This record gives sequence, C-alpha cells and structure tokens, in this order.
Amino acid sequence: MTNKKPTRVSRRDFLKVSAAAGCSAIVLSQFDFARDLIARVEAGELTAAEAYELLKAENTLYSVCLNCNTGCGIKVKIIDGVAVKIDGNPYNPFCLHPHLEMKMTPEEAAKHDGGLCPKGQAGHQGAYDPYRITRVLKRAGKRGENKWQAIPFDQAVDEIVNGGRLFSHVPGEENRQVTGMKELYALKDKKVFEEMEKDTAALRKKKPEERQAAIAEFKSKHAAYLDALIDPDHPDFGPKNNQFVYFWGRKKGGRSNFAAAFTGAYGTANTHGHTTVCQGSLYFACKAMSEQYVGNTFKDGQKFYWQADQENSEYILFVGANLFDGNYGPTNRAMRMTQRIADGKLKMTVVDPRFTKLASKAQRWVPINPGTDAAFAMGMTRWILENKKYDAKFLSCCNMASAKAAGELSWSNATWLVKVDKDGKPGKFLRAQDIGLKAAEKRLDDKGKEYDFEYLVALKDGKPVAFDPDDEKEAVTGELFVTTTVTDSEGKAITVKSSLQLMLEASQEMTVAECAELCGTDAATIEAVAAEFTSHGKKACVDIHRGAAQHTNGFYNISTLMNLNLLIGNFDWKGGMIAASTYNIDGSSKSTDKQPFKFKDIGPKSLKVFGTSIIRHGMKYEESTLFQGKGSYPAKRNWWPLSSDVYEEILPSIADAYPYQAKIAFSYMGAPTYALPAGHTQIAALMDVETLPLYIASDILIGPTSMYADYIIPDLHYLERWEFQGSHPNMPVKVQPVRQPVIASPNEVVKVFGEEQPICYETFWLALAEKLGLKGFGKDGFGPGQDFTRPDDYYIRMVANIALDGKEPVSDASAAEIELFKLARRHLPKNVFDLDRWQKISGPAWPKVVTVLNRGGRFGSQSSTYKGEQVANKYGKLINLYQEKTAGCKDAFTGKSFYGISRYVPIADTMGHSTEKLAAGYPLHLITQRDVRHTKSRTITMPYLTDLMAENGIILHTSDARALGVKTGDLVKVVSATNTEGVWDLRNGRKKPMIGKVQVTETIKPGVITFTLGHGHWSAGAEDVTIDGKVVKGDRKRNQGVHANAAMWVDPNLKNTCMIDKVGGSVSFYDSMVQLIKV
Amino acid sequence: MSQEDILVVMQKDLERALTRPDKDRRWAMLIDLRKCVGCHACTVGCVSENKLPPKMYYRPVHEYEQGTYPSVSRTFLPRPCMQCDNPPCVEACPVKGPGGATWKETDGPAAGIVPIDYAQCIGCGQCVEACPYNARTMDEGTFHSAGTPALQRYEIMPSYEYGKKWSRSGKGQPVGNARKCHFCVHRLVAGQLPVCISTCIGRAGYFGDENDTQSLIAQVKKANAVQVLKPQEGTAPRVYYVANEKLEVLYDE
Repeated sequence: MTNKKPTRVSRRDFLKVSAAAGCSAIVLSQFDFARDLIARVEAGELTAAEAYELLKAENTLYSVCLNCNTGCGIKVKIIDGVAVKIDGNPYNPFCLHPHLEMKMTPEEAAKHDGGLCPKGQAGHQGAYDPYRITRVLKRAGKRGENKWQAIPFDQAVDEIVNGGRLFSHVPGEENRQVTGMKELYALKDKKVFEEMEKDTAALRKKKPEERQAAIAEFKSKHAAYLDALIDPDHPDFGPKNNQFVYFWGRKKGGRSNFAAAFTGAYGTANTHGHTTVCQGSLYFACKAMSEQYVGNTFKDGQKFYWQADQENSEYILFVGANLFDGNYGPTNRAMRMTQRIADGKLKMTVVDPRFTKLASKAQRWVPINPGTDAAFAMGMTRWILENKKYDAKFLSCCNMASAKAAGELSWSNATWLVKVDKDGKPGKFLRAQDIGLKAAEKRLDDKGKEYDFEYLVALKDGKPVAFDPDDEKEAVTGELFVTTTVTDSEGKAITVKSSLQLMLEASQEMTVAECAELCGTDAATIEAVAAEFTSHGKKACVDIHRGAAQHTNGFYNISTLMNLNLLIGNFDWKGGMIAASTYNIDGSSKSTDKQPFKFKDIGPKSLKVFGTSIIRHGMKYEESTLFQGKGSYPAKRNWWPLSSDVYEEILPSIADAYPYQAKIAFSYMGAPTYALPAGHTQIAALMDVETLPLYIASDILIGPTSMYADYIIPDLHYLERWEFQGSHPNMPVKVQPVRQPVIASPNEVVKVFGEEQPICYETFWLALAEKLGLKGFGKDGFGPGQDFTRPDDYYIRMVANIALDGKEPVSDASAAEIELFKLARRHLPKNVFDLDRWQKISGPAWPKVVTVLNRGGRFGSQSSTYKGEQVANKYGKLINLYQEKTAGCKDAFTGKSFYGISRYVPIADTMGHSTEKLAAGYPLHLITQRDVRHTKSRTITMPYLTDLMAENGIILHTSDARALGVKTGDLVKVVSATNTEGVWDLRNGRKKPMIGKVQVTETIKPGVITFTLGHGHWSAGAEDVTIDGKVVKGDRKRNQGVHANAAMWVDPNLKNTCMIDKVGGSVSFYDSMVQLIKV
Repeated sequence: MSQEDILVVMQKDLERALTRPDKDRRWAMLIDLRKCVGCHACTVGCVSENKLPPKMYYRPVHEYEQGTYPSVSRTFLPRPCMQCDNPPCVEACPVKGPGGATWKETDGPAAGIVPIDYAQCIGCGQCVEACPYNARTMDEGTFHSAGTPALQRYEIMPSYEYGKKWSRSGKGQPVGNARKCHFCVHRLVAGQLPVCISTCIGRAGYFGDENDTQSLIAQVKKANAVQVLKPQEGTAPRVYYVANEKLEVLYDE
C-alpha cells in the first residue's frame, strides 16, 4: 500500500506523488503501519500521509479543555510525549454537531477534527509554560514580596499539619506561632458531630430571648467537648475544625468529590466555591425558582440555570450574554446557530450596552443602561400580561397532573394563592387547612420518615380548590388573575392573590415608558421585543448571562427575565429553555443500580459537619446566636440564606474575623485578587498574618493570588490530570466529558502512602490525610485490597460509574482498542499511567472504562436527545413564579423582607443607600467584557493568544472620547470614588497603575466604558521573582494592557469588599462610575 | 438541523475528491462571512498546525466596524492565501524554472496550490511585496517562548508543511524564507481538511473540489452570490466569500 520513493525528492515531485497514499491512509489502519514508522522514515520510504504523524490514532488522546469553563472536548496530538497540537474532540457534542457516535472506533475517528476556539487550541502552551512551579514553594520574605524557597514536599506537609514558628526566618515573624491542621482537627467523634449538629440546628429555631437558656443547656450537655468548639458561647459557630477554610476557583466533578472526601472526614463546614464572581445571582435566582414544595416548605432548589436550546429556537432575546466571546461557550453554541442565523430561521435581539459579536448577527440591538435589565423585563411583562400574550394553558396548571394533561413537562405556581398582609405585602402561599378546605396529612418520605403535608390552594370557577403540586393523578388548574378574600377557621378574613396577579401588580408599578426611560431606550422598543418574543409559541427564549447578574440587583434582574420564559411556558420544549444533563460519577445514579462504585458507601466517610460558615451561607442572621432582636440590625456583614459560594466574602470575612477567626486558608485554582471587583481589598485581607495566620495555595505557577501565600503546592496542568467536566444548560445532549492525563507532569515525584506520584492537588490532600490519620484514606481505603493512595484510585472508579450509568452501559472496547489505549499512552510514566493497575481498579468494568477514556468521555446520541417536540433530558418539575422562600428571608442589614415577586430594584450599597454620592464627579459607567481569545487569569501564559492580542484597552464611545480630548492609542488612567489614585496596591511598596490605551468605537452605548478581561497582570510570570536566592526574570509580554477591577466600587459600609447583591450573592461588576484621566 | 455536521460532509467530499483524477479536481475555499463570529480559531489553529513564529499569520481575521451609534455593524473577514490562478507572487519570484522557489502547481494532489520550496527560496522577500493580499510573510526565526527561562519543545519540534518535517534550524528550512498558507496540503494528501476549516466554530469555512457538483462547496457557491477580494487585481483567487457587505468597500489591505 505504500509508495516507495527516493529519499531526496524535489518539492514538486513530492507534491505530485502523494495522492494515492493520501487515500490509502484513510482506509488503512494507521495502527498497523505505525509500528515500523521510525525505521521507514529513516529508510526514506515514507509517504506524505504516513509522515503526517498528527493523523494517527496512537498519537491522539481525547480529553477536556479548561482554558475556560465551557470545557469543550479536546483531541490532543502527541509526538514524542509532547502535546504539539490540540483540536476539538469529534465525539464530544461541544465540538461537532451532531457529534460522532460512541460506536465509531478511534481509528475511524482519527481523521475528524472537531471545532475548537483559539484558547482551547493554545492549551498546551499553558502546560509548557516556563514559569510553572514544580516543587513546593515556601515564602522566604513577607507575604507578597515574591521571595521564595523551594522545600521538600514532606517538610511542607509536616509544617502545615503540625504548625509552629514556621516563619521565624522572616523579619517581624520571628516568634509568630502558627496553628497547624492537627490542632484544628479538634472534634473527631462521629457521634458527637451528629449530636451537636442536631442541637445547634435546634438552637437556631429558638427565639432570640430563649437562646441564652438554650446555649447553657447545650454547654452542659456537651461539657466534655466544649474545648473543641470555636466559641462555647456560640455553639452554632461549630467546632475548631471550621477554622480550616478551603476555597476554590475553577473546580469540576471528581476533584470536587476528592476535596469533599477530605474536608468531610476532617469536619470543616468551610468549603466555598467562587460562583458569585461569575454569575452567582443567575444560579441563585434559578435555585429560588427551582425550590420544590416538600411537605409544607420549599427546599431542594438546584444551584443551576436554564439556557436556550439554541439549535431549535426561532427567536432568542439575549440579555447580557455574549456567547461568541464567552458564556458556555463559543465553540458549542456558535456551530448550533450560525447557519440558522444566515438562513433567517433564528432571529435574535441582543440587550447589551456593547454591540457584541453576537449583536452583530442579531436583527435588533438594544443598548440599555447597565443594571436596568429588570426594568426592561418588567416593561415586557406588563405588555405581555395586559395584551394577554402569555400561555394561559401552561400557566393555569397547578400541579404535575394538570401539566401532564396539558402536554407540559413542567409547571409553575402562577395560579397558587398567596396570603397578603394588611399592608399589601405578600407572604406565604395559602394552605388548605388555613381556610378549613382540606386538613394537613401525615405522609412518609422514601426513607420511611414521617412528615407533615399541607395542601395548597388555587381558585377554580370562583371556588378555592386544594391541591398537591406533585400529584401525578388529580389534575388541578386554577384561575390566573385572582384577588379575593377567604375566611380562616376562626372566621377572620384573609386577602389572597394569585402569583400571576402579584406579578401583574408589580409590573404595573411602572409604565412601559417609565421602564424604557430607566433603560435608556423607548417604549416602542420594549413593546416590539415583547411582541416578537410572544410570536413564536414555545420556540422563543430569554437567554441570560452575567451581564444581567453581576449587579447589586442581580437576583431580581435574573428573576424578572427568567419569569418571561414562564409566561410563554417554554421550559423543556425543543427550542425553549433547557437544563444540563450528565452521566453520574459517584455511583448514585437514579436510572440504574449497575454502577460498580457507590462512593456513599466506600472510601472516606463524612462527619456531620456543622456550624456557621465563615461566609454565613445557607442561614438566616435572625437564627444565629449573634442576633438578639431588632437592635442587631445592621449585621456586621451579610448573611446568605439563599446563596452559597459567595467568593467575595471569604477573605474579607476572615479579615473581619466575622463571625469568628479562621486559622488556616487553603485555596485551589483561584485568583480572587485578580478576578473580583475591587480585588485590591482581597489583597489587603491576605496581607494580615494575624487575622489569617496560615495561607496555602494550590497553583501551577506563582499567580496573582498565590503570590500572597505562605506555601504554594504545585499542581498539574489540565492536560496532566483528571476531572469530570459535566455540562452546561445550553447542551441538550446528555454528556460526561472526562479530563484525563494526556502528557506527563514536570512536577517533582514524591511518595504518599508509599506510592510515587507527581506533586499535585490530590497528593496534597492524600498527604494531609496520611499525616492526620484520617479514616478511609490509604491502604484498604475503598475496602479490603482496595487502596486509596493515588488520584487514579478515585477517578478510574468514577469513569467506571460513568460507563455503567443509564439504562444501557457503553459497549466494551475490543482487544484492538485496548491495545490502542495502551499504545496511545506509551509516553506516560508509570506514576501516572499503569495499565495493570487501572485494569485492577476497574474490575469487570475495564473494557467499558477503555471505551469511555478512548473517547474523552461518554456522550449520548443526538438522535435520542429529543422526544417529539420536547427534550428527552427534561427538568420536569415546578418552577416558581412567586418565591415563598425568598419572601421569608430578610436583609441582614436593614431587616426588611426580600421581595417574593421579582421587580426592578435600583442599584444600592449594602445599607440600601443610593450610589449617587459615589458617582458624583465620575461620569463614565465602567463595565467589563470577555474577548474570545482570553480568560481572566489563565491565558496570559499562552503566546499564541498574547501574540494575537498583546494588550487590551479602555473602550469608549466616540462622543466620550471627544469630551475627554482623547483618541485611540492615548493612555488614560481609571479612577473612581473608592480608588482616586487609580492603582492596584499590591503591597510591599508596589503599586500598579490602572493605565490603558484608549480604543474609540461607535459600538458601545455613550457613557459606558469597558475593557476585556485577561490583561494587566502583575504575576503569573509577568514580574521578577526570587526563588532560592536566584532571580527569575519575568516576561514583559505578560504585564501588558490594563486590568481596571480595582476601580470598581468598594462598598461604603463594608469598606473592605466590593459592592454586592445581598440576595443572590453576585459581586457588582457593572455598577461603578469612574473617570478617565489622560496620562 | 442537517443530518451531519458540515465538517463530516466536507470530509466525505474530500475523500471522494482524492479518488478523482488530479486533472478533474479544483481545490477551492469559500468563507461565509455571515457565519464568521470573529473568534480567530482558524488563525490560531493554523499557527499551531504549521508552527508559525510570533506575528506570522497565514490566515488573519480582519475586523471592520461601520456606521454610527446605534446603527452599526461589525464584519469579520478571515484572509487565507487566495491560491490565485494568476499569482503575482510567483511572477515576482526570481528563482524561476524547474526547481524554482514558488510556483502554481498544475498537477498532483496539490494542483491549484501555490507552494514554496524552502530549500530553493533565497529569502529576498520580493514575493512578500508582490502579494496584493499580504498573504506572504518572512520567517524571522523567532520563537514564542523567547525571553522566558526556556524555549519549549513543542515549538522547536518540526512542522509538517508540504508533507515533510521542517525543523526550525539548519539549511533549507522555513527560517529566513517566505512562508504562506498552502491550504494545509499536507493534511489534504493525508485525507484531512485544512485546519482552518475543521476548527471553525461558526462553520463559516468551506473547502473541497468545486468541480464536483455534489460537493458542499460547489452547492454553497452555486446557491449564493460569491465575491472575491480585489477582483480588479486580476489574480483569479480560489477563495470565495459570501457576505452581506460589498467586500471591495471593506477590504483594502
């Protein structure tokens, strides 16, 4: 099959002779002729097709990108152990549409490269970054002084666990005693944890005046363990274990579980993600909308959101969503939209102050004033309700049975009756027993535990009807707009209104014209958008992202916008709003019992962690022992009954020691100093060794936050490690992409539990567990003969679970495929890849594990993604229009109740004050944006990207530039009321001014300025550092451009944190007013 | 939704094209600017595939903003080598004749492409000047990881242009010579689409044998009014564009 050619051919001849070989390479198994490749290259016998080594299956490994959180599939081409080219994984529906079926062999798939954005293609440059750290670094100078020493891994673990005078070599810290993790592992007894958890939960339910007695009772009951508590007078703070605070930036499935295995066994409640820096209020507004009525209360809301099924929608209203630059994400969404846009089958309106790439493809661009998203939505709401353009059939469904009868998969509470107090304020839903309509019942849950069930009420034909929202049999529909009076059992009149009525009244608080004025648009535009949105049946969507979420009013922006989707009842419909669906990793799948590894039952067991977290999430201030009545308002900092993972709270709360002091913080893949608005306040929090005595960071280099750490534990780049990426709400296909090691790590190899492994995040957790003697780790961790001593012990088991999830497992890999599996990993060292070991861990699931790993994950078929006009992977539950749980929570600063029905809320500080004073003298509205070529803190290390976009700039409208007397290329400094100097105070005498080049454009709303995120770095290889006394020179290409987050407002009340959304947790990215000073 | 991703359709087209006689085949590229989202995936994919040094792009994406607020437009225009049928660069090259440095290939699988033989190129740069599209660039021999603690292996390893391994050092190599887009001929002969086509997230790029009426590119070309860049130059480009805008107004590089 091969053409023998002379060794020396002229270029012309060469090009002429290779066609036949080209064809043969497609059909011939590359695998066969690969074996003697090198010999034949040397003999000069090779044809063009054969010489193209990047085409060969044995030089290809499939994994998952992490240059942004979209996590597209990647096809990594490896020569001599070096990743030389990255393309899209054609098996993965994020890269090809429809994607290749799982049944296609990797040899057949080799010729298909899927699409991939430029960041993904530059991924290997992050792995081969010359500034990566490979050994543990310990601070040799003050925090943030960029002076380090490389130390043995074992020494680092010993010091972190045992504490001591760890920094006696640093002037000023000679005698500073540091508490180690061993001392904070104070409470260990499983039973005591359970008892105390129960008792502190009971304590929270007490009235403030009853609390002192209850605390005394608690102390007497747990007298033997009071030493283990942070503060026995505040038992609700929990055990000292909580003084170990672990937080993370980008972390996905698998690594999440791994960390939780440790923190659960260690017993800390302080494990916090970064959600609120991204689009927290989008997540938590949708969590509030997805709370389910269980018994007599709302719970089990999902931290998630919906997005448009863009490949089938006829019309999408995008609000603050720039999917051709970011937003989960360009690769997967663009390929599903562009042809339909070109054909006129998909029409779009883009609401955004910037004329984004997405807007450039839309029929209508509506540049609104930042932060007025809810006003726009309320204007639309009013028009839709008053013109009766809603889906009355969908909205009238009270419960599952009625939804089913109407052909719907989900339903809302639009018709449910809400009790309204004498001031007209809505509170709880009316319960049937309140009016003697139907008594409450005792029911049993699936664990056999008894609970109270209370029926809800709607009005039907003028009469109250009781119903159970989850009733599958008895369909109940209700009237949409209800205002009436019912009588309780004592004959007292109760005013009730339906949820939809409350929505109507809220929308009528402003005229459409008034809404438009707030937005900086006109009533005709809002009405036209509302008319278009309601002209496509269920194939229309409002698709929202962080542009609407990252404001002090983010939660209500999202709720009002998402409610528009409820009005047309598009959830779970083809072309409507859809939710993500994934194959399960931890063995808890509900669709099968065939998964081999049920992590709930094997491996480390979690203690019943309890106590108030350092960010006070999932709890009401009024239920804490710090609350003594109305005089306790305002709280020192916010409490977050509806949100979690409130990133901006972690370090400032530690700095404030509120509600207690933290002793050790450990961060993973996070850069809050760079990523958060007013990130300089986060630096300030990290600088104080008294309030934060020990700070450890996991990072792959000395980054913008890890540079302030006491120790940096080197981690693996994403091409070197495991993780399960999960999915995103715009992906209709059920998936579980698997990130796996495709290249070797440069990191020092160490021994943990007697096993050699490169230093990384997992080895650090394992080493801590080994040193602390945590149960469930190490030898026999997963049962007799089933050790838990390495990352792959954990992750191979999860891959097996993925392979066996669902009604049908994946197919077994053939012997040839298993051989290919081995060959394709020939460059990986045994401490990363060991075929025999992986096979043993997998057990009988092994050939299925190979099938999944050979394809970079498990992906459902496009053909089974829809059932008729609806999605197969449905949400299928209640969606709240009125939020009873939200209405039951109070603002911890003002003591006022949150709104249960969403509406426009003005931008404000934490005390509820207007921002007028802060804005005075600062006429420009600062927002930010992404460019598809960069992410915030990862891509600056990648020359393919920095070469293409060496710097960013300050983007402003022509009229603003004229007023300032600047033109494109001029340098300006960004200043604001809370950063009048216009600098990043990096501490230790270093200040980085926020100076950038002006870029004048017509494509932004006048008065608004923006910059793309990802430039203006002060670390990550951008500046010189000293390691072991030697200076490592920085790469000046990395500190180009401007990062203006430090100009964003510091909350005038909190003083050490940016402005926040008190309900949904989001940070305020787009509310600050600034001025530009010509330099 | 079509039954197959157009990448899969074009892959089949390509395999069919490779079985046809060389003389019957006419490689062409078409870019639908209505579908281009300005992501630069093609640019970076090409840089990575062909191991291009800093600031060398075979396929840059130009961006044009027009109009005044709020009536504005943005257009993204990827610009590969046009593989002209009347290539001014070939005309300008002093190394002519058999074994010349650059020519319009007339047969073999690369027929229609304008290649450069790095072993023959003398690095005079006249072709760079001659190209009306700026599609040729001199390779200055620089590295992306220059100025950092270490040059990285992935960029000193060879590229596969023209079906041969090219290192970044030694005689007859790309360094010091002119370089340009070649429709990834090394991929074509191996049975793969050009990397700018396969990596395009908006699926704006089409590639194939336009003489094959069944091919997607032929069908898209037929169904739409196509434009070429700088028609007045008489270069007869093999790269066609579909756009809402008149490209002669936008493109003046």
